[in-house]
Amino acid sequence: MQVTIKVFGPLTDIVRENDLVMNDVHDTDQMVQKLGERYPALHGAPYNIAVDKNIIDKNTVFTGDHIVALLPPYAGG
Amino acid sequence: MEGAIPATMVADSIRQHSEKTDLGAHSIFLGQVRKDRVNDQEVVAIEYTTYKEMALEKIHEIREAIFSKYPLSCMHVYHSLGRVAAGEISLFVFTSSKHRKAAIEACSETVERIKAELPVWGKELFANDDYQWKENQ
Repeated sequence: MQVTIKVFGPLTDIVRENDLVMNDVHDTDQMVQKLGERYPALHGAPYNIAVDKNIIDKNTVFTGDHIVALLPPYAGG
Repeated sequence: MEGAIPATMVADSIRQHSEKTDLGAHSIFLGQVRKDRVNDQEVVAIEYTTYKEMALEKIHEIREAIFSKYPLSCMHVYHSLGRVAAGEISLFVFTSSKHRKAAIEACSETVERIKAELPVWGKELFANDDYQWKENQ
């Protein structure tokens, strides 16, 4: 199981990369915890999480390879 | 699309609709990059980025919803990516209908939904190479 994490907008100032890969992660809560350990500034930063382009509102278990996006508030237009 | 939306593109869009003689109303929204002043620095450009795969799905979803709500004949949406200088156009929404009300309301609702739901971000670039991230009001 491989989770590719795409990072956008202001969050790229914290993560400094556009794509991260995690192999040993069970669900989104664990992913957030691991990200927080690696990038403490992510704590408290506002963002939604999309799993395979669908925004989630609760912990989501990874069942195979997934693409996760960290989406800070939108600012189009 | 990459870079600013040229004024000629807006004119061409209007011209292309002259063949559709059942239309009676067009509504156009143009978003322009504002030269905001922040702490004595002026915004010289905005650099737009997106999550393209998700944005394309979302704009399709918005389009379907707007078409099912209003009696529109057609709708065109263009959003800039990359660098757009202050004073240039970064968003172009064009709705057409038989009558004005549907065109105006559909255009307005589409713009609001784009602002709220499209995964796009803007980095406001200052003349001194500093920047801040744009926040929508």
